[in-house]
Amino acid sequence: MTPSNLKWAALPDPTPAELARAVDGDVDAFKKIVQRYQGMVYSVAYNVLGNHTDAEDAAQEAFLRCYRKLPQYRSEATFSTWLFRLALTASVDYQRRERRRPEPVEVPEAADQTQVELGDGITAATLTAALRDLPEDYRVPTVLRDIYGLPYQEIADLTARPLGTVKVMVHRGRASLRLRLRAEREA
Amino acid sequence: MDCSYFRERINHYVDGELGYLEVAELQDHLSFCPDCAAELSQLSEVRTALAAWGRAELAPPPGFAERVAAAAALEPKPSEPTLGRVVDDVLDALDETLGRLPLPGGRTIPVKNLLGYGIAATAVLIQVERYLRRTRELKPL
Repeated sequence: MTPSNLKWAALPDPTPAELARAVDGDVDAFKKIVQRYQGMVYSVAYNVLGNHTDAEDAAQEAFLRCYRKLPQYRSEATFSTWLFRLALTASVDYQRRERRRPEPVEVPEAADQTQVELGDGITAATLTAALRDLPEDYRVPTVLRDIYGLPYQEIADLTARPLGTVKVMVHRGRASLRLRLRAEREA
Repeated sequence: MDCSYFRERINHYVDGELGYLEVAELQDHLSFCPDCAAELSQLSEVRTALAAWGRAELAPPPGFAERVAAAAALEPKPSEPTLGRVVDDVLDALDETLGRLPLPGGRTIPVKNLLGYGIAATAVLIQVERYLRRTRELKPL
């Protein structure tokens, strides 16, 4: 799992010809689209769900929704923006649907990811471990708000929770992360 | 005012939800309260780290694109209008056109869902009314 700090917005949109082939059922054309955007979709799913097993399932679901909805894509938004929304919705839907299941066994992160510095002495390993240990009710709204910058109302709509509850969950999620990261630093 | 009042406000501050006077009041408090100032600083560090993490990209497991393509191959062509897709498209279009209605407590509900519940409730009421009428008609004199 290697972060490459790619900005999704910089990814080139599929050409109209590529899209037309995929819409017409050309699976190889669709596979090229998947290869281009799989990092973005998988990252969104991982951050929302907190483990690789569920992230892979949710990312696959997001791409299948994309495949079914390809004829609806209009170039008013960039393809990455459109697909990003599909990935977020698929991941949150997955989390709501599967929340009663026991947690799957976590696959250990690759060593090269753990040392990525995110500023102020916080490494990716510390942050992802802290995020993973947050209660699900706090993690999902906090990820949507502070990683992806969604407005609170949109988070409330996506997670089907009252606006006030979502705000409280984000505040508590931030407080837990702050205390956890402070403790790690002091240790 | 004690620190608990301002600590609650710190989250609203970083979300840009405070008015001008509230910001001034908080900044005044932060200027002489090192604990609250430290909390704001740590919260900002967490948010910076989260935003930086959001820009990082994770590579999916090997063979992911192939598995997605294999699953897509089992689906009908996107250009083929199946009944399920037509229904999905109509529901999506209704959602986009009608929007969502705010409910008490800060929840919202898609207007199309309300219409659906209304139609279902009307159908049930019509059936109940027909059943009662028939029962009255069949009642022996």
